[in-house]
Amino acid sequence: MNAPVDERLAALRGSAKRLDYNARSLAALQNNPRCTLRALLDASGSDKAAIAAHAGHPSPFGQSVFALARGNAFETMVKDNGCAELVRVLRETLQLTLPEVGYEDLNNVGGDGRAAVRHDRTAQVLLQAARGDGDGTLFDHPMLRLRVGGHEAFLEPDLVAFRIDGRFHIVEIKSFPILDGQADPTQVRAATTQACAYIIALRDLLARAGIDGQAVSDTVVLVAPKDFTNRPTAAFVDARKQVAALSRQLSRIERIGDLVDLVPEGLTFDLDLDEEQRPRRPAGELTASLDRVLVTYRPDCLNHCEMAFYCRSRARAEASLDVLGPVVREQFGGIDTTTMVMGLAHGELQPSEAQSEMADALRHAARLRAELEGLGGAA
Amino acid sequence: MSILSALAHVQAMESMRAVPLTEYRHRRLSGRPLVIVPLAMAGEAGAPLAAMVGSSRRTGTLLVVPQPRNRDQRFAFAAGLGRIVVDYIDSFRHNRRGEDERSLYTDAPQVLVPNPGGVKALADLGRMCRFRSTSGPHAVPDVVPEFGMWLTFLVDRAEQAGTSLLLPVTRMLAEHWATGQSTLEDQNLASLMAWISPPAGLSVEQAMAEAENPDVCPPAGPTTSPEFDNRDLAPAIRRFDTARALGDPRALATAESDLRELIAGQIQPTWRMVWEAISLLRSVREAPQTARRFERDCAAFTRYSDDRDAGGLPQRKRDTAISAARRLSRLERALADFESETAFDDRFVRADRRSAGEAFAGTVVETESGRTVTTAKNRRVPRPRVTVRTEDPVRLVADTRLISPSMPAGHKAVIVSVLPDGDATLVVVEVTGGMGRSVAPKPGTVPELGQSIDYLPDPGWRPEPRFPASDHTPWTHSAGPDGPDIESAVPEDAAAEEWGNDD
Repeated sequence: MNAPVDERLAALRGSAKRLDYNARSLAALQNNPRCTLRALLDASGSDKAAIAAHAGHPSPFGQSVFALARGNAFETMVKDNGCAELVRVLRETLQLTLPEVGYEDLNNVGGDGRAAVRHDRTAQVLLQAARGDGDGTLFDHPMLRLRVGGHEAFLEPDLVAFRIDGRFHIVEIKSFPILDGQADPTQVRAATTQACAYIIALRDLLARAGIDGQAVSDTVVLVAPKDFTNRPTAAFVDARKQVAALSRQLSRIERIGDLVDLVPEGLTFDLDLDEEQRPRRPAGELTASLDRVLVTYRPDCLNHCEMAFYCRSRARAEASLDVLGPVVREQFGGIDTTTMVMGLAHGELQPSEAQSEMADALRHAARLRAELEGLGGAA
Repeated sequence: MSILSALAHVQAMESMRAVPLTEYRHRRLSGRPLVIVPLAMAGEAGAPLAAMVGSSRRTGTLLVVPQPRNRDQRFAFAAGLGRIVVDYIDSFRHNRRGEDERSLYTDAPQVLVPNPGGVKALADLGRMCRFRSTSGPHAVPDVVPEFGMWLTFLVDRAEQAGTSLLLPVTRMLAEHWATGQSTLEDQNLASLMAWISPPAGLSVEQAMAEAENPDVCPPAGPTTSPEFDNRDLAPAIRRFDTARALGDPRALATAESDLRELIAGQIQPTWRMVWEAISLLRSVREAPQTARRFERDCAAFTRYSDDRDAGGLPQRKRDTAISAARRLSRLERALADFESETAFDDRFVRADRRSAGEAFAGTVVETESGRTVTTAKNRRVPRPRVTVRTEDPVRLVADTRLISPSMPAGHKAVIVSVLPDGDATLVVVEVTGGMGRSVAPKPGTVPELGQSIDYLPDPGWRPEPRFPASDHTPWTHSAGPDGPDIESAVPEDAAAEEWGNDD
């Protein structure tokens, strides 16, 4: 670990409590790995929701009590009595021959719930199992660590890892339904993204003890309600591609240290909360700090990043084509703003060498549109 | 998307107002559509919360499930909504035109929902209802499975390009107008309407901000906003549950009417907005070939209606190999036809294809109108050639078959050559059809010197693909006797559908 980098990250976060990576920040990592602001906020463990709210762009990710209740109820039901339902599904639906089942709860260690303690215990238990000692088959809430941008982050997977035929499998318990054998692809993808992070973290843990990555399967077990019932069913999800993609993104992601170096000295996202958790820092000052960091906005961010509304307003202010999304954007390769598009289309801007072909196409398109508008055909 | 449509979005963003993408509306809008605004409970699979339904702005009926986790209440709701929808559909099952088996209903129903999520909600509801048994321990009213089957039919039909039996209004709006926001945001009815027709006294910016504020513009569903759920809905449902548990009829009635009022407040803004969108869409002229597509809708409706009359089984959970292949082939053809028909009808769509080099327009600069050739059957036929000069970036190649909206119906041509001419392109075209039966072409059937003309590729006639009969499915594509095909025809155990874990 790089102490100065840690100090810089801590300074970015300021006085607030450190937040760990969660499902949403992992999804954001996979969906938008190149966004500097997101990388810095996540790596420093800053509270993106609070920051976005104070900057005047509250995030819309409140969770409905109904969804929470449903999710918790389903998970509890699957895990009740030492994962009895889970074992039934693994045996009946997936036709796995599980012999005697041993269940290890890694939620806390003798009442100690601290991340580091739990991580040590997880490592001890899982390594023992990997070496063939111990009789654990199911491991509930292991505490793992993932390297993101050269920096270690704790992951608290809401899951069970189970071991069969000498290999670990990650089990994701989700409350969206598998309807007639099919589930919503975006939700499956999000669930798999999470599972991939755990696969990578688990492999990392084993690798440090000299155990081959093959000991962790690429196949994720998705446990979810069957049709409209409350009974669980399970399916194998092949996560090979996504594991490879996430590993690549994790390794390619600019080292947090390098990103931190680009940030002006003394920059912080600290909200300076008072005792009642109200920010004391002037909003204008916070926005000024945020404005100094590069963002990569895509409309898709609205689905998973708390900062998205702030970034969108920035993109709008800059007349960036990012506002319109990739489908429109890819039509104008190499052009960033609407001003530039309109300038080239109307022949008011001189295209560069690389843009000349695009400029021709744009002028042609603009001529056609002008013709059509002249006809006034549409309402 | 082509560079032309992309430019339209940029123009919209620059000018902060929606700009037209098409000349016409390519979807039929029924004179009496049935609008359904479905709401569902967050986190639950197919647990409807409420729906507002009706075929005019003033006659909306609000149906509410006070406790969406309660199975009986859910199916009571399904029966209530089902009766309205099935009555509406039945009102189109009277007038037929044509002889016996080939006769078709002259009109067809049209269900409109606010957004694509609404279609998904109806799909879930259809799946939930169509296998229900009307007798035995978990019996549901007769209308429930009937409703489920009709919904499934509508949802299936909605997958096909150019159909109009079930449509999200956001799609109809976005087909006609380009906004300065992303496709994702265009699925939010309120934001889309903010661009096209902001409320009086508001700028587009203000209207967009309001559209995303759930307290001003409740989401158009199917899920309600989490704040509303946590702040208002959850306590109201709890009060209802308590009143029911205590068996206090007065408290129960109060709790129920409170719930209705709450939900009405969430659903009515969307209801009004859908009708506003419909009247906006009515102001756009309907494209000429929409009527032809509607004919196909009527045919599909008639077929399914006859199937219902004959007591057909509910649609399968999953397609078999052959029905999946058939479905894909049908969808592909429909899409190709729709794209070609819209380009033929609509100058805007055509311009879009022109900017991509998939169509061209220009001026006739040379003609060889008396040209004839002798066919293999030793018959002399007219094959006039014309040269069209165009500034479009033509990417079509020789031998491409063409049709033209600028010529009389039946006009067919083929590209002979495409040659650059300075900044422009010269396309030599041979006219092959639509000239009458004699050696001399009928007047007006061959493009004349100096005439402006549009050409686009002919999607052509393709033979109906043939698939093996279901008992001749190759073994590689058929499921064994224990496979899912058998199981999927059998309704699942109704008793398994319990809604435990009431909290």
